[in-house]
Amino acid sequence: MKSFFLLKQRLSPWQVWIGILVFFVLSGLIAGVFVLWKGLSITNLSDFVPWGLWITIDLSSIALSAGAFSLCAVAYLLGLKRFEPVARTATFIGLIGYTMALLALLLDIGRPDRFWHALVYWNHHSLLWEVTMCVCLYLVVLILETMPLFSRLEWVQNRWPRLAQKMATVHHYAPYLAVAGLCLSMLHQSSLGAVYGVLKARPVWYRPGISVLFIISAVAGGMALTALASMISARLTSRARVNDSLVEQVSAIVGWILVAYLYFRFWDALALGYTYQPGRSEGLRILTNGALSFNFWVGEIFLGALIPIFLLLNRRTRSMPLFRMIALALVVGGVVAYRWDTNMSGLLVVLYSLPGEPVIGYANYFPSFVEFVSAAGIVAYGVLAFSLGVRYLRVVEHPVDESEVIYQTLPEPAAAD
Amino acid sequence: MSKKPLTRRDFLKIATVGGGALAASKMFRPVEASEAVEGEHQWAMVIDQSKCTGCGYCTLACRAHNDVSPDISWNQVVQVENLNGHPVFLARPCMHCAHAPCVEVCPVQASQYREDGIVMMDYDRCIGCRYCEVACPYGARSFNWEAFTGPNPAVPEWGEPEVPRRPRGVVEKCTFCFQRIDRGLALGLTPGVDIEATPACVVICPTKARIFGDLNDPESNVSQALRSQVSYRLREDLGTAPRVYYLFAKLEES
Repeated sequence: MKSFFLLKQRLSPWQVWIGILVFFVLSGLIAGVFVLWKGLSITNLSDFVPWGLWITIDLSSIALSAGAFSLCAVAYLLGLKRFEPVARTATFIGLIGYTMALLALLLDIGRPDRFWHALVYWNHHSLLWEVTMCVCLYLVVLILETMPLFSRLEWVQNRWPRLAQKMATVHHYAPYLAVAGLCLSMLHQSSLGAVYGVLKARPVWYRPGISVLFIISAVAGGMALTALASMISARLTSRARVNDSLVEQVSAIVGWILVAYLYFRFWDALALGYTYQPGRSEGLRILTNGALSFNFWVGEIFLGALIPIFLLLNRRTRSMPLFRMIALALVVGGVVAYRWDTNMSGLLVVLYSLPGEPVIGYANYFPSFVEFVSAAGIVAYGVLAFSLGVRYLRVVEHPVDESEVIYQTLPEPAAAD
Repeated sequence: MSKKPLTRRDFLKIATVGGGALAASKMFRPVEASEAVEGEHQWAMVIDQSKCTGCGYCTLACRAHNDVSPDISWNQVVQVENLNGHPVFLARPCMHCAHAPCVEVCPVQASQYREDGIVMMDYDRCIGCRYCEVACPYGARSFNWEAFTGPNPAVPEWGEPEVPRRPRGVVEKCTFCFQRIDRGLALGLTPGVDIEATPACVVICPTKARIFGDLNDPESNVSQALRSQVSYRLREDLGTAPRVYYLFAKLEES
């Protein structure tokens, strides 16, 4: 114990932080290897509930990456240049989020060795195919968008100066990349909801509203995570600088998007009860009155939407960093809760296809230890990547004086030859 | 524009663009496997609930002939109601829907329509995402959570395996014993009439509750049965157009 405290004294907080994250990443890695080796039988997934915690991580990390496309659109397409530094942070978070999603998927599919099949054998009737293609293409866009960031690495600049220069010039194509990112994201962020929405076998999902709710909640959650991560970084390290008024503006936007989200969510949930359809009312009851009700009322509606709307749209609380950060964190949690509830509400109700009277059964699911450890590893990887980005790539660096040009420290693009 | 010799850079550019275009043309070729094409035969099954006694022989014969793990049933039999003290059973193979949700949603076209109406799995292509399992309204699909190793308890009592085992990590389901149909047709036999060409569950049924045949042939036993008796299909409201028909259990016979 004594040696532990001695060790703690010698280590800087940064080293302790990285140590904790590396521990979780490594244990996640071990769990992941275990899953690939032993197969999915060591999870608590079943033929009734084939999608669980990993799919929630996958959906959530894609949703929380939506700040990238929306803030890039604000900065480069609406031409609100002052949002460029926030868009840069969001793009980096997006890159991390999409790689997290791919890691989760790699664990979740039964044959990870065949992950590339969707790129080769196209079934353009399948929304999952469309999502896969969009995610892969968007990952390319995100890599291009973050290239100027990586060109700032001293190591790259020293070793391959010409490459660093080329990488930096990608920034000139930012508006085009923003268009591509906007199109791809509008497609797959909403069709991730439609992946559920088109399944007539699952009446509680079979509705058009899920797609709309998915994209609106994703934009709110993505922007919220970007603002939150920027604020936390600026408080913890001198290597991150934020322009507080900029973050406050983003937070106000999040508040208004949440209002729109809550409005649509209200009508969507209400319309679910219009008609009795076997399986649909049961799904709604699980959500509002059953196993998922705490998640729904407290996680999604009260903490995930109502409280943040109040904190973010009230000028006094919004201007106080502590309340703003609490609100943004609640939004992020609300989006994750929404993804979990959406997935579960359809799977927990088992509709037996018997003739005559509908027979409804209920399934159970609680993630296994291996699922938790590997999921924690994926999340820790994301936090670790962001921490390293803040320290070495300066992903959170807002010019304090707004007239300051962001990329002025970079070499001029090579003249066209 | 002056004429310049082809530099290495130009060559690489041309080669990359050309190669990319070639690859793209390969990728973009139209594939319409998720559109059903009606062929010469349209296989269908009729299950007579007034004859089914729920003995479960069909499940066991299916496990043996298709080498299915004891954890999985391609063909479940459940008791659905009681008619004047007599239990009524429902046997549920894959419905081989004409508009199959599983085929529509599969991201890699591992589920496909055959021309004869059978919904077929390509086990070498399946990535194990389980979207088809979530999409199937009949619960006809099972995922291989574990590798099926060791002896099959249904063999040899209930038959000999005719198809290879599926690997861990893919989804599997009833195939209407396509291997028996295809081999039988090649030998000049008629599926539904000659037992070598007929699905194992139909052959084993001790009460002859199952009939199999070609809907395109008006004289086949399925066509005749569907003409002469009232039948229903499971969850017709969904518009999946199953190829498995049921005949009602009748009060007087039960």
